[in-house]
Amino acid sequence: MLTPNRKLVNVLIGKSIIETLLVGALAVVAFIMVFPPHFHGWGEVTDQAIAGWAVNNVEPYQRVPVQLFINGEFVAAAVADLSRPDVSAAGWARDPWHGYMFRLPSLPAGQHEARIYATHDSRDGNRKSLQLLGNPLTFTIEEVPPVNGN
Amino acid sequence: MTTRAANFESDYLAVWEIVSVVSSFLIAEWVVLAFVGSSKSILAVPIALALALMLISHRERVETIREIGFRLDNFLSASRSLLLPTLGAVLVIVAVAWTLNQNLIAAPWRNRFLLLPVWALAQQYALNGFINRRAQLVMGKGWQSVLVVALIFGLLHLPNPLLSLLTFAGGLIWAFVYQRHANLFALALSHSIISITIALVVSSKWLDSLRVGFKFFG
Repeated sequence: MLTPNRKLVNVLIGKSIIETLLVGALAVVAFIMVFPPHFHGWGEVTDQAIAGWAVNNVEPYQRVPVQLFINGEFVAAAVADLSRPDVSAAGWARDPWHGYMFRLPSLPAGQHEARIYATHDSRDGNRKSLQLLGNPLTFTIEEVPPVNGN
Repeated sequence: MTTRAANFESDYLAVWEIVSVVSSFLIAEWVVLAFVGSSKSILAVPIALALALMLISHRERVETIREIGFRLDNFLSASRSLLLPTLGAVLVIVAVAWTLNQNLIAAPWRNRFLLLPVWALAQQYALNGFINRRAQLVMGKGWQSVLVVALIFGLLHLPNPLLSLLTFAGGLIWAFVYQRHANLFALALSHSIISITIALVVSSKWLDSLRVGFKFFG
């Protein structure tokens, strides 16, 4: 057996580079498939509800499924299909039917955090991922004073 | 370049070649299966790269097909060396399976078992025709290189615990015999007999349906 020449070294380096690129590409593609970066939305807390909008930029007419979590706990699921003409007027969506609204459940007094997630299926529904829309919403429930003063 | 420096470079390259081929198999088993499922086309990329490296390496090191072990002249001597370990392994597997299952046949015959000799030959080529030969360049013939080959074979069957253990044991026998009689056909025959025995008599729950890598998790 002869001492190998430099060609073998070059092949090893080339193979390493191709495999590094393959693994990197697979990681990026898999990430985009599971967590597609084209969901946009926003939410706000009103007196009785949490309302906002959600749009899938790749499928602009899709009604995006959303889920509400409060303090890290699942509360409710809905589809963002309510009329929000302000969203389409501002250019965020092509039609106005991207709104959602969740009635606030009864919560103890104090500060709470709500998060609205867009849900997304991948690999033929074998995976379902949640992506935060906008920022977490912090709100406070005031303590209700007793009616009879006790 | 002095002889010592040339030897060091050759050893270093041989280790790099082993690591590179093993990395390709690990990428196929773990990364590709985790990210894209059982997509055959993407799975073929790291396997093809490993195969290309092995073929180029053989050419650059001027190794002949006969030296690698694709030959028939030493088939009988290699088979004789493998006969007792193979029969012993089959008897142990059957005895253990009988004790655990109280039933000799745990799984039905499947036509895909007919492809096992081809699959076994491919595995034996990579394991012994390439990795064993490169390990011998670094450590020479003997228990050290045999142990390295067996450890690599076991590693490639992780995280399946029983299969890793069995392939480690099989790797020890096959690497040992290959260093004495470099014949891949005899190794593939022994490998096929043991694999078919395992597939037929060992309950799939013990071997998790022979799944390895990321696929092991379901």
